[in-house]
This record gives sequence, structure tokens and C-alpha cells, in this order.
Amino acid sequence: MRRWIDERIDIASIRETLVDRKVPGGLTWWHTLGSATLAVFTVQVVTGIVLGMYYAPSPDHAYDSIRYLEHNVMSGALLRGVHHWGASAMVVLVLAHMIRVFSMGAYKYPRELNWVLGVVLLFIVLGFSFTGYLLPWDQKAYWATQVGTNIAGTAPLIGGALVKLLRGGTQLGAATLTRFYALHVLLFPVLLGFFALLHLVQVIRQGIAPRTAVLDAEPPPRTDDPAYASYYHDRYARSKRAGVRFWPDIIAKDLVVATLVIVVLVLLAHFSGAGLEAPADPTDTTYVPLPEWYFLPFFQLLKLVPGSLESVVAVGVPAALVLVLLALPFFDRRSMRSLRHRPAAAITMGVTLAGVALLLGAAFRSEPPTAVATEVGRPLSSIERAGRAMYKARNCGACHALGDQKPDTSADTPNAPDLTEVGLRHSAAWMHSFMEDPARFHPNSKMPSVGPPKLTHEEIEEITRYLASLRGPNWATAKQEFYDTFPEPVKRTERP
Amino acid sequence: MGDPTGSAAVTNGVPEQAPAVLDDVLFSRRRFLRWISGIGATISGVLVGIPVLRSFVSPALAKAQPATWIKVAEDIALLDIAVPIRLDFIQNQSDAWVESRTQNAVWLYTEDGAKFKAYNGHCTHLGCSYYYDKELKTFACPCHRGQFDIKTGAVLAGPPPRPLDELQVEIRDSAVFVNYRDFRLGVSEQVGV
Repeated sequence: MRRWIDERIDIASIRETLVDRKVPGGLTWWHTLGSATLAVFTVQVVTGIVLGMYYAPSPDHAYDSIRYLEHNVMSGALLRGVHHWGASAMVVLVLAHMIRVFSMGAYKYPRELNWVLGVVLLFIVLGFSFTGYLLPWDQKAYWATQVGTNIAGTAPLIGGALVKLLRGGTQLGAATLTRFYALHVLLFPVLLGFFALLHLVQVIRQGIAPRTAVLDAEPPPRTDDPAYASYYHDRYARSKRAGVRFWPDIIAKDLVVATLVIVVLVLLAHFSGAGLEAPADPTDTTYVPLPEWYFLPFFQLLKLVPGSLESVVAVGVPAALVLVLLALPFFDRRSMRSLRHRPAAAITMGVTLAGVALLLGAAFRSEPPTAVATEVGRPLSSIERAGRAMYKARNCGACHALGDQKPDTSADTPNAPDLTEVGLRHSAAWMHSFMEDPARFHPNSKMPSVGPPKLTHEEIEEITRYLASLRGPNWATAKQEFYDTFPEPVKRTERP
Repeated sequence: MGDPTGSAAVTNGVPEQAPAVLDDVLFSRRRFLRWISGIGATISGVLVGIPVLRSFVSPALAKAQPATWIKVAEDIALLDIAVPIRLDFIQNQSDAWVESRTQNAVWLYTEDGAKFKAYNGHCTHLGCSYYYDKELKTFACPCHRGQFDIKTGAVLAGPPPRPLDELQVEIRDSAVFVNYRDFRLGVSEQVGV
């Protein structure tokens, strides 16, 4: 059996190129960052597939589907938490891998194109992050994307078209959500898979870059010197001969780091999940949006520049970053690789990292004292939210207190009950009947009837559902005890 | 993975000189690395596999929906005697994250206007809605010609694997309430879904 397969697909030679190949010795732990990124990407794909089974990319249902996943699916919150932290891990690992490659001069001859592929991969990862952030359709998602797409809109000339292109229309809405969803689950996975494969094939074909000392032994001064190629290949071949095998030496090290990363991801997901804020509310004027933390340095930079320069910085800085990163291996052709011999590179990297760290620190310090908590209680379902909108539209809060919202205390307001915990005191059936005809329940009630034709039965039911969800600040543990007194045959209802 | 002779193998046509002692050291070092790799891969796989598999199979392990009391008729006095009556009702239904209002039906049968039989409106074979055949005086299912007795719900003909699903009935203040629930279809035993 084995021989039969072997004759047809030649496992031996596959094994030789993939598994038994020799790798230069003395690779550091920093060399494991690329494979750790690959491991986390695999985690993102696997968790993403199951997340996709519980997600509805429409503003009507996106939030409810995430809420369902969090509360009604076994390990659903953990699954989403792993995917959430995995996104951060991808960005951190890709950047760390990039810093490693930069400081060891590994982007130099003959790996210039693999560096370019790496830059492309970095921006695909950022694209994943930006599009994925919107999908839960909560306040954070909605407002961060509002700001993010507006930044693109400040671009000169193409800004207006760009923002419409990103949003799939002039407004952030249903078409934006499906657009981001398609990019996040259809386009980006294919792109990332394809470019990551090319990136890896190059690593296997060229071999991993050796330690800097191997290539820093009196080389020709520049990599475009005709003598450099033979110098390089001679030194590299020797280092490889004296090296170790990919399996198990390198793989073991890679797996140790990948496992540590995954353990950290699962612990983070377990102890601090992805979180879900109140559903997206385009009419909320008090919400202070914040992007995902790794976009904060850029966000902070925009706060520092004067308004007239904002569009220049908003578009110019990312564009310049792309160009500098892409061009790096083509203008830096000096052959020395160790940072000790590259003072300018060392200083540039140090200053950049310090600047990013300072901006990140400043952004964390200037963070508003957490977004305003507008709701007390559990997240609402779509019917309950419709009820809340109706509650506001009918101005019920003019007489009733609810949480922080106090009624208008001008002279002639009736003394209406506080509704903060009404869901603990009355059943839904009672509230519905009461709203239809309050006088039937209390002859002296000043509450006006909201029954038809004022509101339809369905609208009353929506308000009822909203009121039934109001269980005060201790909603999770508070016990319901109904005091439902129906007119005529007096009944005590035990359960709603 | 790997050959038992370990490092003494020939790679890329370059023979490696490995003294016997070194061979032992390398061999145990390799074995250690293989162990580490195996443990790492297992831990990673299990840690990620648990939430992925649990959330994937979650619907298969979901608990059966509890039955709910539903008012199907306002006034007992208006119901026909000795003829089955189909009663439609609207129900709020939670379908995963979508809440919707769906129409369902039960069949009610009484001979004396006091004792009622209520049947779930779906045929126990594959869930089609059955009707009352006035000529045969049986319930008949149009899909595969199943027939049920109107008094007991027993199968009279056709492929249905079990009698009609009987529901509890209660009369409260002359209104008729039915304890509605659905059951798994196409199987001989009655299992809630």
C-alpha cells in the first residue's frame, strides 16, 4: 500500500524537501515568529468557519446572532474570544516577525521579494482586522467603522468615491455589512492563503536566512556587487551543511512557541471574552468610538496634527508607510546585516518603535472613562429594542423614571411608577393588558390608554417585551415576584 | 516519522560521519524533540479543538423545547360535536436568533362537548398537514396517504410510524387551552424536539 502510493506521489522526495531538509544552525527563538503567525492563522480559519455558522450578515440580525452565539451555543463565547484575541495575536506576531527580519537584515539579497510578499501579508492582516471589527454590529463596531471609513474619505481627489466604495453606499449600513463580510470571509482568506503559500515556498526554496555572523565575514560592500552572489551562496551552503534538520530540530522549537501562543489565546478568551456592547445605534450622539488597540497609535497621531493637515496625515502616513516598506530592500543594498554595522537602520527602527509606543501610551491615557453605559441590564433582543424605540417615541419617560432617566418634574406631571425594575414585579401579560386599558385596573389611574387606535397590539407587545426585560441593576440574579392584580376574577399569576 | 538509524543516514548525497557515541546523543536528543513536538501539537489541537467542536455540535445536543399552553378557542359552546375541528393559532417562535410569529394548527375532537382530544396538526410520518376526510370520516394525509382514526389518533392506513401526537387539553373559563409541542417525525417512538 505504502509503496503503491509512493510510486505515484513520490513521498520520499516530498519528505526530503519539506521535512528532512537541512537548515543553518544556531537559529534563535526569534526565528519562530513566522511559524507562530501561521499557527494563529490556522486557528483563525478553524474558529472562523464555525463562527460563520452562527452569523447573519444583516443589520437586522447580526447583533442577535452574535448574542445567540454568546449565550446559547456551547463554548460559543470561548470560540469567539479565541478568534478575537487571535486577531490581535496575528497583528502582534506579524509585526514582531517583521522587526526580527529587519534587525537581522534578512530582507537583503536574495530575499527582497519575500520581504515584499511579507508587506502585502501585513496589510491583508490589517484588512482582516478592520473588516472583522464591524461584524458584531454593536456600538463599538459601528462607530469605529464610521470613523475608519471617514478617514479614508479625507483623501484628496478620490476621498468621496473611496468612502462610498468602502461603505457600498453613502451611509454606513446594510450594504457595508455585507461588503465587509464578503471581504472578511471570502476575499481576504483566499488572498492571505495564496500569498502566505508563496511566502513559505520561497522560504523552503531559498532556505531561511542564517544568523547575521554567517554573512557578515568581510563580504563585498554592496549586495548588487557582482561578486556578492557567489560570496553569499558559498557562505550559505557551508552554513547549511553544518546545520540541523528541519524535522525535528526546527519544528520542535516552532511548536513550542506556537503552543505557548495558543495557550495564552485560550486563557485570554476564557478570562476576558470578546465582549459585546449595546447594539449599533446610529442616533446615539454620546458614544465615543475607539478603534482596535493596534490602530490607536495612528488614531492618536491624527489627534495631534492641526485640522488643516489632518487629511494629509490621514492618507499620507499610511501611504508613505506602504511605499517605504515596499522599497526598503531595493534602496538598502549594503551587505552588512547585523544592526551593529547598520547604525542608521538601528536608529530609524528605534525612533519609530519608540514613537509608536509613545503614541500608544498617550492613546491609552487619554481614553475616555469608558463609553457611557446607557442601558442597565442584559443586552436586548430585536423585539425588545423595537419596544425601547417605541417607549422613547411615545415619550413614556416624560412621566416614568427608568434607571438614570428621570421624568420631567414640572408641576403637572402625574406621579407615575419608576419602571427600572418593572420586569420583576409584573408579568408581560399583565403589562400588555394594563397598557391597553389602565382605567380597568385602577379607576383613578392617570395613565392614558395606549390601546388601538393609538398603538397596534403588536406595538404594545413590543413595549411589553421591553418592559419585561427591565430587571434593574442586579438583573442577572434578581428574582421575579409578580404582583399582578387583574380586574374581575382576581388571580395571582405564578409565571409569565 | 524518521528512520531508526537516525543521524547516520545519508542526506542530499553527503554522507555524515557520526561516531557511535555521538549517534546515541543525537538519537536521544531527537527523540526528545519529537516528544516535545508531539506534546505541543496535541495541546494546541485540544485547546482549539474543544471550543470549535463543542460549538459545532451544540445544536445536536440542544434540549427539547418545553410545551406551552395556548388558547385555541375562546368559547367551548361554539365548537362542533362529533366532527373534528381544525384550529389555527399564531405563536411567537424563537428560531435561533430570529424571533418570528408562525402559524400552527391543532385538531380538536369531542363527542360530548366536555371531554376533548387534541392532536398536533402535523402527520407523524413526514410532517405534512393532514385534513379531515368527510366521506371516510378519518384524518387523511395528502402527502403519502396516511390515515388516522379521529377518535384515538391511531394509524388506519399508510406509512405513518406512530399514532397522531396527542396534546393535553384544559378548559379554563370556557376557553380551550392546548399544551402545544412538536415531536420528532418519522420514528415510531414519541420524542420531543
